[in-house]
Amino acid sequence: MSHSAADPTMHPEVQLSTSKGYFLGFAISAFLMLVATFLVTSHSVPPFGLLMVISVCAGIAVIAQIYFLLHIDISEHNIWNTVALVMFIPLFLITIGLTWWMFSQLYLRTMDMSVMSSAMQPAVHASATPGMADMPGMNAHTDSGN
Amino acid sequence: MLVDLPGGWSPLLGRLAWSQIPYANPILAPLFVAVVIGAIIILGLITYYGKWTYLWKEWLTTVDHKKLGVMYIIIGLVMLFRGFIDGLMIRTQQVWAVGPHSSGVFGSLHGYLTPFHFGQVYSAHGLIMILLAATPLLVGFMNIIVPIQVGARDMAYPYLNALGLWITAAAAALIMISLFVGDFAHNGWFEYAPIFEMQYSPGVGVDYWMWTLQLLALGTTLGGINILATIIKMRAPGMTWGKLPIFVWASLASNVIALTSFPALQVALALVAADRYLGAHFFTAGMGGNLMLYTNLFWIWGHPEVYFVILPAFGMMSEIFPTFSEKPLFGYMTMVLASMAIAGVSWLVWLHHFFTMGAGPYVNTAFSVATMLVGIPTGVKVFNWAFTMYRGRLTFNAAMLWAIGALFLLLVGGLTGMMLAIPAINYMVHNSVFVVAHFHSMLLVIVYAVFGSVLYWFPKVFGFKLDEFWAKTMFWLFSAGTVLVFVPMYMLGFMGMTRRLEYVFNTAWQPYLDVMELGIVVYTLSVLAFIVLLYVSVRDHAKNRVGADAWGTSRSLEWLTHSPVPFYNFAVLPHVNERDELAWRREHGIDHVRPEHYDDIHMPNNTGVAIIIGALTFVLGFALTWRIWWLCIVALLAIIVLMIIRSFRGDPGYIITGAELQRMEEEAYRREAQIADSHHIHPVSGGVVGNAMAYQRNDSSK
Ligand code: HEM
Ligand SMILES: [Cu+2]
Repeated sequence: MSHSAADPTMHPEVQLSTSKGYFLGFAISAFLMLVATFLVTSHSVPPFGLLMVISVCAGIAVIAQIYFLLHIDISEHNIWNTVALVMFIPLFLITIGLTWWMFSQLYLRTMDMSVMSSAMQPAVHASATPGMADMPGMNAHTDSGN
Repeated sequence: MLVDLPGGWSPLLGRLAWSQIPYANPILAPLFVAVVIGAIIILGLITYYGKWTYLWKEWLTTVDHKKLGVMYIIIGLVMLFRGFIDGLMIRTQQVWAVGPHSSGVFGSLHGYLTPFHFGQVYSAHGLIMILLAATPLLVGFMNIIVPIQVGARDMAYPYLNALGLWITAAAAALIMISLFVGDFAHNGWFEYAPIFEMQYSPGVGVDYWMWTLQLLALGTTLGGINILATIIKMRAPGMTWGKLPIFVWASLASNVIALTSFPALQVALALVAADRYLGAHFFTAGMGGNLMLYTNLFWIWGHPEVYFVILPAFGMMSEIFPTFSEKPLFGYMTMVLASMAIAGVSWLVWLHHFFTMGAGPYVNTAFSVATMLVGIPTGVKVFNWAFTMYRGRLTFNAAMLWAIGALFLLLVGGLTGMMLAIPAINYMVHNSVFVVAHFHSMLLVIVYAVFGSVLYWFPKVFGFKLDEFWAKTMFWLFSAGTVLVFVPMYMLGFMGMTRRLEYVFNTAWQPYLDVMELGIVVYTLSVLAFIVLLYVSVRDHAKNRVGADAWGTSRSLEWLTHSPVPFYNFAVLPHVNERDELAWRREHGIDHVRPEHYDDIHMPNNTGVAIIIGALTFVLGFALTWRIWWLCIVALLAIIVLMIIRSFRGDPGYIITGAELQRMEEEAYRREAQIADSHHIHPVSGGVVGNAMAYQRNDSSK
């Protein structure tokens, strides 16, 4: 059993990998990160649009990394990678989905909506925007006047 | 510098300064002297007896999963002791500082610890007990037992295994050094946003906490990958999934949790680091930060983590009960499904740690129901164990006592957990000592299972049994301590005593606190009994030697090979025929066969790289904590370079020839023959007895 494992270069995932693939994966994710950083620092897109663009960039980067760097595909000889992927998807949905749900419910009960809407406008408020999670009684209220 | 550093910074030493050494502290300074003297004595003894080469060759550079496991367990026991001392300090402070008329010493108004110091003690206690005591103890047992139970010669990745151990050791060292250099975090073991932000916790305590946890998460993830790969890829011929020993199943479920949940913690900690080091605002109050997001991310890992530590304990109990009931485990399949169900549901419940955040009735109800669902598979397990014992031929030795104790504690902890899972109750008792009593009941299940396993598997690893009398004495003292400490704690919880009080305002609680102090004294006695147990057992080890099947009623594969297990585990890989292989062989009269012919086997070489990388991660953690940037860069580069060198060199391993193997095996058989109750062992030809196969057939080429 351990004989085939003794030579790591014989493993399918090593056999499959090429330096071109690694380089491409690295270049794509580095490029997407630079784009995202530029958009955030330059404030050139309104907040909601920014959120969308960054999310899309992140999504593409994740897919590129999974494919080029981790070699996770759904082929036969990488069956355990597929198992890992199948396990990952529900966990991803659970963590992100339930988090989104609980915080949206929380904001319904704790957010001052006038603050929310002002936070959605760029420019003037951008630097002094009160935090989304600020509870009533914290500085969200004291700040909202300016 | 991106953030304001109160107290100065220098390029050479970062934030480190002489004033950070607490040489004036009346508790720490003498302790420091004691530790230094102790260390000098130990190092001196090693030098005197000329054991350095032995230590380096046999332990520090080993990749043998059993030795690594033993070292994990030693780290776990040492940290358990450190955490226990913290517990003793907490109890003593609380029994002392009751009411306005209580006295105070050492600069504290009441009791002997100032609030700042008390905070550090309970934070360190929590982090140490869950992550540096329970986790290494369990990982250690999985390390030792899983490969033998699946019939492998080592882990899938022996070098990675060593790396995981030494990174864990680095984390332990980091939290220990925080005693003597600087402070530890004082905001609780899981911390809170935004108090861990730089402006509220400007010291290095939070940084120590963060990097310790980060290292541990790394080490444990590496270990988890290894155990999973071992279970999936390294099973002996014939060992199908349905024949896997139940402890292996538990380890599988547990490490699936580890592998999927630890990254969430690492991300959360990285974001905390961004806040504290780069001036980011992930968890600040205001500036777009979201403080509850920290709590959310932490418990996304935190709840799966508690099941990560309880599942191996369940697995241990599932091994101990059948052996000492002389019956197969009741409901094997349901046990497997229950482990998997627990692992799955553990992902859906994390909000029960912050019901009081106020996400409203829908969210709280959903998480409440999900939490209670965990009770179903857990209940299945409890009934399975009970039915395993029902009408069994029970032997109440010390290992069995610990397992039964674990069962009782599981009931108490599980039922109080159910109460806490009801939001209406939770709003009343959240952050009270009732919660503290709940999770101590649960974590004590682990401690009980671990001590049971120490007794149960000790003869397998070291070749002799531990002393029954002292083991039982320890058990009863420990259990008396448990009752005395935790029953009053549940009561105080109902009376409204909140957790983490460095000053107890209500004098009516004094009697309860007195009983708890008595309890911790009894616990201390049980610690002494443990030391006597080790001493007496080692002294009398010649009398207590055992053969392969130490208990005579063992059931799974690990009891097939010699005790102590040779470094290659199995000279010839066994062929697995049935679920409880050894029990099956005993029934068919082939439990004492031995192979006729030995083939060459291939084993991994020792490596010094793992311990060096471990040491470097410690340096990295220390340098990050004190913000000594040049040292961070040096350590990080050294780690990367070592990794690259090691990867390119690889490990060709080495061959043990069949002849040599035969010599070692014969010696082991001879040793076994001298033990009184051992049986006559006869060789079998071709690995086949009757129509059952005992060994892997070697005639086919591999
Ligand atoms: C039947 C299963 C269980 C249920 C229903 C349950 C329920 C709960 C709930 C609702 C809380 C939150 C209490 C609060 O803060 O208000 C809690 C806390 C806790 N539980 Fe459990 N639990 C269960 C099993 C476990 C297990 C197996 C462990 C660990 C081995 C564990 C360890 C903890 C810890 C460490 C905390 C508190 C952490 C802290 O606040 O410091 N629980 N449990
Ligand atoms: Cu929980």
